Amino acid sequence: MEDADIARMVKAAADGDKAAWQAIVERFSGLVWSVTRAYRLGNADAGDVCQTTWLRLAEHIHQINDPARVGAWLATATRRECLRNIRVNARTVPTGDVTWFDDSSATGNPTEDAILESEGEREAAQRAIAVRRALGRLPDRCRELLRVLMASPPPSYADVAAALDLPIGSIGPTRARCLRRLRQELTAGI
Amino acid sequence: MSDEPGDEELAEELRRLAAQADPVPTLLVQAAIDAFSWRDIDAELAELVFDSVFDTDEATLVRSSPDRRMVSFKTPELTIDVEVSVAVAGTAAGVEVASAAPGRSVMGQIIPPQRATVEIRHREGGVTIEADELGRFQSEALRSGPMSLRLRPAASGERPAVVTDWISI
Repeated sequence: MEDADIARMVKAAADGDKAAWQAIVERFSGLVWSVTRAYRLGNADAGDVCQTTWLRLAEHIHQINDPARVGAWLATATRRECLRNIRVNARTVPTGDVTWFDDSSATGNPTEDAILESEGEREAAQRAIAVRRALGRLPDRCRELLRVLMASPPPSYADVAAALDLPIGSIGPTRARCLRRLRQELTAGI
Repeated sequence: MSDEPGDEELAEELRRLAAQADPVPTLLVQAAIDAFSWRDIDAELAELVFDSVFDTDEATLVRSSPDRRMVSFKTPELTIDVEVSVAVAGTAAGVEVASAAPGRSVMGQIIPPQRATVEIRHREGGVTIEADELGRFQSEALRSGPMSLRLRPAASGERPAVVTDWISI
């Protein structure tokens, strides 16, 4: 989706077009979810944050200044809601579930291994575990950035910058550095 | 630092892994689509202008305790101050709480003070309560999650209803 398409969708949704709204959700729900995971929210909290963010957009969509930048609007709203959630929950009992992303102690799952039929599938599963472990060893900054970048479909650097409150010019260089670190971890730690 | 060869491939591999291992839950995608139907285009939006979780000043530090969150919503004519607290079973400010699960209780004040019908919109649909002549209202225990208020002042006449920004309680 190009910027002009996004702007058109936002304007159409503001006029009540449900299909346009659905297209916006399809384009950006991956981003919103990835931001909650970058901030390490468990399933229940991440769900609350996502729902609140989308409800808030529905209420504000007719007054967004720059419709093409709705992704950055969503990313900012999600970040604020995540921080709020983290501050409130610092005082309560943690939910206990860990995100896949944070489970750096990931090991092979014997049950899963047994049902993997081909050699190729086994290799893919081992690679997934290796990548997950390597991610777990990266500095927080890198893990957060990479998790947001892992959203499907790929977010723009402007959206990523809004999600993490970083200057847009820093995203490309930091990404390159973090991918290099990840590659080093993958080579070093088997 | 420039991109190294293979960066795009590695980034794509990460995206693929996240899509397989940690996809957006289908229910959340549906909830996001459904969010559109909560829109009340005729209502006036009361925007969130204060949240004690973020905006801490001296006055707030005095008023708010860890289990009490103060938020304010504003339209040009109205202010709605809301206090969200954790409703412990049976002790939610005198309100009997049936469920043992810790819910949230919402106490509000409309300024200027006035009678109003207040609909608390949340995950389980909505609860309608009345604000008294001093503009005060109080909910029973609510499940945590997204919440918004929809107010219809008793003396509003032809004026539109007011809806507040969504917050997560």
